[in-house]
Amino acid sequence: MNKNFFEIKDVTFSIGGMNKVNDVNISIKNEGDIICILGPSGIGKTTMLRTIAGLEKINKGEITLKDKVMSSKKIHVEPEKRNIALSFQENSLFPHYTISKNIYLGLKKNSINNKNINANEIIKILDISEILDKYPHQISAGEAQRASLARSIISQPDLLLLDEPLSNVDQSFKEEIQVNLKKILNDNRVTTIVVTHDSYEAFYLGSKCALILNNEVKQFDDPYNVYHFPNSVEVVNFLNRGILLPAKVTGGNSLENDDLGIIKGKFIKHYPTGSKVQLLLQPEDLEHDDNSNLKLEVVDRKFRGTNFIYTLKTASNRLIPVAVHTHHWEQHEINEKFGIKRPIELEHVVCF
Amino acid sequence: MNRNLNIWFLSSLFISLIVIIPILTVFSSFFENTSDYFGILKNTFLFEYIINSIFLLVSVLFLTFIIGTGSAYLVSFYEFPLSNFFKWALILSFAVPPYIYAYSLTAFFENYGTAYTILKNFFGEANYNKHIPKFDGMLGSVLSISLSLFGYVYILARASFLYQSQNLIDLGKNLGFSNFKSFYSIILPSARPAIVAGLSLVAMETLAEFGAVDFFSINTLTTGIYNSWIAFDDLAFANQLSFFLLLFIFALFILENLSRKKAKYHFNSRGGFKRKKKLRLTKNKSLLAFIFCFLIFFLSFLFPLSQMLYWTIKFPENLFDLNIFKLFLNTVYLVSISSLVLILFSLVSNYGNRVSNNKVLNLFSTLSISGYAIPGVILAVAFITFIAWFDNNIIKSFGFLSIKKLFFGSILGLVLVYFIRFYSLAFNGIKSGYEKINIYVDETAYLLGYSKRKTFMNIHIPFLRNSLLFVGILISLEIIRELPITLILRPFNFETFATTAYISASEDLLEAAAVPSLFLILIAALFIMITSKYILRDNDE
Repeated sequence: MNKNFFEIKDVTFSIGGMNKVNDVNISIKNEGDIICILGPSGIGKTTMLRTIAGLEKINKGEITLKDKVMSSKKIHVEPEKRNIALSFQENSLFPHYTISKNIYLGLKKNSINNKNINANEIIKILDISEILDKYPHQISAGEAQRASLARSIISQPDLLLLDEPLSNVDQSFKEEIQVNLKKILNDNRVTTIVVTHDSYEAFYLGSKCALILNNEVKQFDDPYNVYHFPNSVEVVNFLNRGILLPAKVTGGNSLENDDLGIIKGKFIKHYPTGSKVQLLLQPEDLEHDDNSNLKLEVVDRKFRGTNFIYTLKTASNRLIPVAVHTHHWEQHEINEKFGIKRPIELEHVVCF
Repeated sequence: MNRNLNIWFLSSLFISLIVIIPILTVFSSFFENTSDYFGILKNTFLFEYIINSIFLLVSVLFLTFIIGTGSAYLVSFYEFPLSNFFKWALILSFAVPPYIYAYSLTAFFENYGTAYTILKNFFGEANYNKHIPKFDGMLGSVLSISLSLFGYVYILARASFLYQSQNLIDLGKNLGFSNFKSFYSIILPSARPAIVAGLSLVAMETLAEFGAVDFFSINTLTTGIYNSWIAFDDLAFANQLSFFLLLFIFALFILENLSRKKAKYHFNSRGGFKRKKKLRLTKNKSLLAFIFCFLIFFLSFLFPLSQMLYWTIKFPENLFDLNIFKLFLNTVYLVSISSLVLILFSLVSNYGNRVSNNKVLNLFSTLSISGYAIPGVILAVAFITFIAWFDNNIIKSFGFLSIKKLFFGSILGLVLVYFIRFYSLAFNGIKSGYEKINIYVDETAYLLGYSKRKTFMNIHIPFLRNSLLFVGILISLEIIRELPITLILRPFNFETFATTAYISASEDLLEAAAVPSLFLILIAALFIMITSKYILRDNDE
């Protein structure tokens, strides 16, 4: 018997005869868990959601929900019989009904569902009380997206699929909605798969993240691990939160780079001494210290609210990002010298 | 979504096939033998048929272009007295079919006609007849058809002008163009696809026109088809003439489709769109614009309406001789059944296409909507040919009773051919309604637990309500005006306003044709007024 609440086993997702994502294995262990599918645009994330919802068929593998096969080469449960809700990225509200009617259409269907979702609370939390009497053409794209989200949640599905749920929501409002959305989903134990290309959104909402790159799931792990222990160069490049520096392994917990010298830390994976590797260096890894004799030139400085991200140029013309708290006692301008604290000790050493 | 064969797919396929059969019949009959009459006619009249058809076509296209584009330009870009009234009043010309226009023209200008009476009342008795111009024959046909059909060009050109951005006009001014230069070098070229689409519709209707050219005794391919079947009982030759006519029509059909596609792109242009401001014309120009539009409105609508009204009042006995109530009931009966059948089947077919997303079905649907390009005469003859062949070769070979009576001279046959003729009108009307429903709406409905049937009934139909009403009225308008199909296939003693008017006119009883013509114009005008907002696309304004 399958112990996972939801499982995708060896499934190749395709659309219009073209394979988009191959041999996918993803599972949700417990009811109420939230996972995120992260990847660049056009990679097939939406195709995956559509297939899980039953809007597309599969020719390989198996998708199960609550121990029941929903899709396989031979079985295809129609979308209306799956009790899976999909909130589309595009406006999918019924154009001839008010927002209120649109939302409550979702409620009618599952009035006997054992979950007790409070529709009014969801409407309030998603801040759509003011638009209930309006028609879809009278509201903004962000409001339409939230209304569609409310309808999907209120329909009390066994599995909720959200396709870029906050892509049209204003940046200023996005964080608040993210918090509220996560609260609603957790409070009501709504098992959810969120598709997004925003890694911050994925890391915040999901207890696990699946990274789709080059037609396959590159990594399926919790957000901390995806960020700190990426399992491939592609994942590093996609997350774009660090650089790879050439280095040589000098011992069980040290390695050497021509520009930075000796770097110490706990290796995630063992490499024989003398191996040439690519070391992952993230903005949080190096510390600022102008008393250090290791000084690099500042070529760029980005203000990120909490932090400044300095881009430093090494002697061999490599660019290294370093994060410094904006309240830090001494900041540097472009072209100034920036000291790096030595010895360099990393929390964990990730190499490829 | 890849879906298997389902009831929606099969229904759509079945509906498309019903519509395609007559088209195939016309093409297959081209290769059949005919009687000797064909040889004689080929060497004598066929050439005349073709020359007349081409002359009529070119003249009508020229006139409708001038009238349609000119009036659309004036009401779209300028403000002058009653310009808002003319905007919709000009489409009332659709209420007057070419054959009724022809009756009015003759009635007014004939010897001792209305013009004579007016002159006599003003200036006393004299021999005015030789000074009153005669608008009959080819000239009468061209005028009747042009003033009845210029609306197609007007509507499409106006819609295109409506969507032209102020930026374009400003660009012209920036380049130092005069208003006239802006018109022919900027405005007209960008509206060209829409104007060509309108002219193609006019061309198809002109080639298919029967009533007016028959009344003026002009021999065209269409009257040739009717006469060779009615007068000479030569169905095969009628079909062969149809083939020639269809060659013309298909060339136009392709042209119209290509233009319409381009016109669509034009309408959808979004970036940098800026609503136009209408220019207020100065006194003299304003008067000229008013006169131009009023003249067209008067000639195309007020004149035939007044003429019919005048005769109805002058010869009131005709009003009582005719059983108006019965004619009205017959017309309503035909219109209701046909509209209902057309809307129902087009709705099913559209939904079938939508949920099946099947290439074969799409091809069949595209073929089936070509029915509107085929003249009613050809369709009626092709339908008779097919039923006769089916009856002789299939039904009788199984020893069943003949089915001819079921389809010939029956409401069933009439509705079926109307169905084929106006299917594209219904299908495309509903399709444009459907295009406003995002496919995600369907998928959301499925995900909310709605079956396909429930999605169709509970989501689509309420949304399409307005489109269905609009399509219903458009179909009704066409059927009320329709003449050749009704003449050929109607049951014995079953008359409508159109057939009664035609029969009276063909018996030289023009004054008797006035009463049914007047009722026809009034009902059609009422329908046009109800739907004018949709026809003019002013809801987008």
